[in-house]
Amino acid sequence: MSDDHELVPVTSALPGMVLSDELLDSHGLVLLAKGTVLSEAIIASFARHQIDVVPVARVEAHRAPDATAVQARLEILFRRHDRDDDNDWAGNLLRRYVEDYRLERQVAP
Amino acid sequence: MTLDELTAGLEDLPSLPAVVMELLGSIDQEDADLTLLAKKVALDQALTAKTLRLANSSTFGLQVKVTTIQQALTFLGVQATRNLIMAASITGCFPSGRCPAFNDKAFWRLSIATAACARVLARHMHFNPDVAFTAGLLHGIGRLVLVTRYPEQYDAVLRECERVDGDLLETERAMLGVDHVLAGRALAEHWQFSDTLRQAIAFHVQPEMPGAGFLATIVHVASAVAHALDLAGYANEVVPTVSSVAWTALGLSEEAWLQVFRETELQFEEMTAILLA
Repeated sequence: MSDDHELVPVTSALPGMVLSDELLDSHGLVLLAKGTVLSEAIIASFARHQIDVVPVARVEAHRAPDATAVQARLEILFRRHDRDDDNDWAGNLLRRYVEDYRLERQVAP
Repeated sequence: MTLDELTAGLEDLPSLPAVVMELLGSIDQEDADLTLLAKKVALDQALTAKTLRLANSSTFGLQVKVTTIQQALTFLGVQATRNLIMAASITGCFPSGRCPAFNDKAFWRLSIATAACARVLARHMHFNPDVAFTAGLLHGIGRLVLVTRYPEQYDAVLRECERVDGDLLETERAMLGVDHVLAGRALAEHWQFSDTLRQAIAFHVQPEMPGAGFLATIVHVASAVAHALDLAGYANEVVPTVSSVAWTALGLSEEAWLQVFRETELQFEEMTAILLA
């Protein structure tokens, strides 16, 4: 099973989880199709079909960008640019915009 | 090495496929007849497949999937199709095994990023996006001339540049007597690129020079953005000088710039997946 899937015990299954594979019953028949969104009722029915674990899609949490890492990298990328050099305002503006972009800052329209 | 020696050596360079030469020669002509050319391209299956994948990428937002070059011409138009065929055939040209310090993958990634950004910027500026894309893709082609023509010497240049974290153009001039902008210019003339394209290649590092042309401004800023977005995947990446004249000429708000960054990254991801597969 690839990285974007995981097997969870039925006791840990929660409504809203998405099946990453089709679910077969003990006779090998398809019980639920891949992509099915689990509900309370479906989870409750697992016991009847003697299902102990279910394959679900791993939810990729949106990670906030790491400001320190972004700034450290920009420091390297812009090493030929001097923040205090007024003649290089265009380079410094580009740097600021890329930083805002990487850190997903809201900018005024 | 002098420019004359360099120019004399251009004869030995691997030539572009005949199809590409024809495309480049007519890049400025809106009404060029590509029916015959479409037939020639269709003979090359790999080239056709790549071109069609590009045409069907989300960059162009076609409602209908095109399955032949002729259809691409109908739905995308002559300019865009020509631009795609060219991009599909030129990336990956120039084998560079004899110059280990040259990272050709990073080179093409940067070229594609610059092309994508130039295309996005051109649309904001109501400039022809297809011409801007091509100019972005080819702006650094002089580096390929030096790699191909003088692999050992250029290897030494790149190592020295890396060692002292020096300026590439200056190091090239000091060690070779020519730099890649000059080499690109010579190649653009040798290959009979259009005037617009030649000027963009010649002046993208000095867009404020009189007569440089607006395309040089677009390519200059697009290249700086490509470096700043760190798209080449090169550990020692460095953002070059950004001309305040060029930056001002584009006149974009911060909000517009952030949109340009987003679109550039999206198009870049899609195009590298197709072109550098």
